Amino acid sequence: MKQNNIRNFSIIAHIDHGKSTLADRILEKTGTISQREMKDQLLDSMDIERERGITIKLNAVRLKYNYKGEDYILHLIDTPGHVDFTYEVSRSLAACEGALLVVDAAQGIEAQTLANLYQALDNNLTIIPVINKIDLPNADIAKVTAELVNTIGFDEDEIILVSAKTGVGVDELLASIIERIPAPKGNNDEALQALIFDSYFDAYRGIVTLVRVINGHIKVGDKIKMMATNASYDVTELGFNSPYEHKVDTLLAGEVGYLCASIKSIEDVKVGDTITLDANPAKKPLAGYKPMKSMVFCGLYPIESSKFPLLREALEKLKLNDASLSFEPETSQALGFGFRCGFLGLLHMEIIEERLEREFNIELIATSPSVVYEVELTDKTLVMVDSPAKLPDRARIAEIREPYIKTNIFVPSEYIGPIMELCQNKRGNYLSMEYLDATRVNIHYEIPLSEIVYDFFDKLKSYTKGYASFDYELVGYKPSNLVKMDILLNGEAVDALSTIVHKDFAYKRGKAIVESLRKLIPRQQFEIPIQAVIGTKAIARADIKAMRKNVLAKCYGGDVSRKRKLLEKQKEGKKRMKMVGSVEVPQEAFLSVLSMEDE
Amino acid sequence: MIKACYIHIPFCNDICTYCDFCKYYYHKPWISKYLDALEKEIDTFYKGEELGSIYIGGGTPSSLSLDELKRLLMITKKLQRKDVEFTFEANIESLDEDKVKLLKEYGVNRISIGVQTFNPKYIHFLNRHHTKDMVKEKILMIKKYITNINIDLIYAIPGETLEELKEDIDTFLSLDIPHISTYSLIIEDHTALANQQIKPISEDVDFAMYQLICSSLSNYEHYEISNFGIPSKHNLTYWNNEEYYGFGLGASGYEGNIRYTNTRSLKHYLASCYRYQKEELSFNTMVENAFILGLRKIAGINKQEFQKRYNIDMTKLPNVKKLKEEGHLLEDENTIKINPKDIYISNDILIDFLDFNYEEYR
Repeated sequence: MKQNNIRNFSIIAHIDHGKSTLADRILEKTGTISQREMKDQLLDSMDIERERGITIKLNAVRLKYNYKGEDYILHLIDTPGHVDFTYEVSRSLAACEGALLVVDAAQGIEAQTLANLYQALDNNLTIIPVINKIDLPNADIAKVTAELVNTIGFDEDEIILVSAKTGVGVDELLASIIERIPAPKGNNDEALQALIFDSYFDAYRGIVTLVRVINGHIKVGDKIKMMATNASYDVTELGFNSPYEHKVDTLLAGEVGYLCASIKSIEDVKVGDTITLDANPAKKPLAGYKPMKSMVFCGLYPIESSKFPLLREALEKLKLNDASLSFEPETSQALGFGFRCGFLGLLHMEIIEERLEREFNIELIATSPSVVYEVELTDKTLVMVDSPAKLPDRARIAEIREPYIKTNIFVPSEYIGPIMELCQNKRGNYLSMEYLDATRVNIHYEIPLSEIVYDFFDKLKSYTKGYASFDYELVGYKPSNLVKMDILLNGEAVDALSTIVHKDFAYKRGKAIVESLRKLIPRQQFEIPIQAVIGTKAIARADIKAMRKNVLAKCYGGDVSRKRKLLEKQKEGKKRMKMVGSVEVPQEAFLSVLSMEDE
Repeated sequence: MIKACYIHIPFCNDICTYCDFCKYYYHKPWISKYLDALEKEIDTFYKGEELGSIYIGGGTPSSLSLDELKRLLMITKKLQRKDVEFTFEANIESLDEDKVKLLKEYGVNRISIGVQTFNPKYIHFLNRHHTKDMVKEKILMIKKYITNINIDLIYAIPGETLEELKEDIDTFLSLDIPHISTYSLIIEDHTALANQQIKPISEDVDFAMYQLICSSLSNYEHYEISNFGIPSKHNLTYWNNEEYYGFGLGASGYEGNIRYTNTRSLKHYLASCYRYQKEELSFNTMVENAFILGLRKIAGINKQEFQKRYNIDMTKLPNVKKLKEEGHLLEDENTIKINPKDIYISNDILIDFLDFNYEEYR
């Protein structure tokens, strides 16, 4: 296929604005997939994605389309919608020349609409604004059009109206993709430069990389070189997804596809790296991506300590197509051997945990999430601390600084009050507020990231009945009056329960944590005091009373089998708990900081 | 050798809010058919052993009319007996002097009465229909014929106070009868209480009530978690993990290494399809049951008898050793028992007897 007849594009949207449904409809309209084969949201291939209705991993599909008598190839590269996965969006965008910016006809512009748009603009992409869900009874096309025109600066006649559900407008959209998005402009004869934008592990073929050929071309049998890692391999298979795999002999400049080269070593493949030919290497690699830093850390420990090696293997496999996941071994007195893992955000953390449990069958204990603190010691050295356990001794600390973020909170104006209350409670500093129109505002606050990590999303939802959308950017570190708070169970400090908190909020949070632990830890044969302490000073306490009653009041011959099952269930429950000192602690307790009730 | 027999009469005039037993509203046309089927069941399965205990329970066996009762008692005459404890369950409203006379005539020598509470507030809550005076009057009448009487009492009813319980116990004591079974209210699934989403009383109050009961009944022998008085032979059959027949709708029995449960469907039962479920017990399960049941007895399990029956020296079992070290089990010359201070948390101790390969210690 001539490069002129290739179009590479992504769809970007706020979560729930219908991105995946639109992708499905495009697949169907281009005959890539028949209606019969259509499962809902075909590109969301993971169970978790379908269940949660979100896209986590990106996918690339090749479509054929005949427009005005000419055949075209379109590569659609799907993107995730959640703020945690902004990084993945940037990866997809780097492989494209254009993007469809999808906005819900009833909701209008939301926080991630803008975040994604700015990323697309950073990548110099051509943007096609699309208003989706125009079939909804509460669609307000005029208002959303005005938002797109006034807030972002599109021309009214650029906007394409679509209902991904019914298919209205999809033909026009396909036409505009071909008309407006530029064809790739690579040179087939130059030295090979192919961008790795994703990779995954396949049990038979080793590591499979997804690539976009920018310049040059690549054939099966070519000896390739990874420019960042210098590893070299022979290409064993090339192909594309449509949406099922099709093998090809060559990938040309402008094309998107997959590449296998019997790659076994996970370290050799870095997403964002450039592939070139060993014999005729490119002079320099492509720009790639700036490596994403993990923002949220937590300890992950297998409940069965024998599964530690399995956990390592599983994390390695997940990291392969999730460059933003980081991990290193750590040891906890309470929990044994595990990993300190870094994530982009809380949702990312939840999803990794869920995938470890489901796909790898490892039951986990996760400790409370922490952000990365910058600690200046009295001797002026700087240490980055991603776990309360690693916080140096208080006497050695000159200053602790914590990461702050700036918010975009899009919300109907009647919720300004609740949002401000919420942000104040989260140690936020008010910055500014913009009216999008008469009824909607974008509120900017500066808030410590650690406060977002806790329950900000849930609170935001409940404070605004789900009407708020939220996005943030990191704005840097600021000094904070932070202290380490330890939790003592039956007089013994449990390292896995320590947290770093703001001194002014320590009392409140300590109280909430011990209260929540009191509810989560079942009564045992002796009374268990739970204390929150800073240094040696106790700031909160709750007691788990001794077990008073655990008896089968009635048991005659006839129901001994049933009563035995009851006891077996109790025994099972006990097995799932972790012995910490003399106390049996259930899994959930280690996340008690997250399950705190309203402060 | 089977020495005991349970017979279930599933009919009731009212359904108690906590009851998850097998029961049907009393409906005259069903009774004679039911008794026919029961007779046939006994004819089919009873092998002529001499029984030391016969227990007619329910439901409400006393809901049967005088004629129906007579028919039932006639059927029980087929059961051979020797030094029998013959118990009949009754409630206050449906038991009258004619019925008691008839029971006595047919050899019944123990009456178990489901009183549950004397407090009008909770009588209503449990959907029962007696009064304190009715109970006193009926007990006096029964005593003229049969003196071995038990009363069932429920405590820890949501809302109940220690004072109210004390009053109930005092009333019981004033009746001067030899046996009481007291149960902390269990809110079982599929009962009216569960459907109304009634929540149990707090653990601490429940325990305080149990302590109050134990101290108030100090003149009675506390021989099982919930039982006080002259030990019932029939109950001991269960707690000694001994075999017994179960006849009637929904009844369970234990013969050889089989525990069986009869159908709860009246239709199937009347069509002579009696046995619904059979569980063949492995040796390990049998020993597990021996512990789960035997350690309900305050006096515990007799070591020699245990050794004779299961060919296991209990004191060699690691779980027994561990629990002894922890002070949860006490051992003397003849028995091993749960430390009385732990009896109300015995589940926490019993779970150590599960999932254990007893075969290895034979």
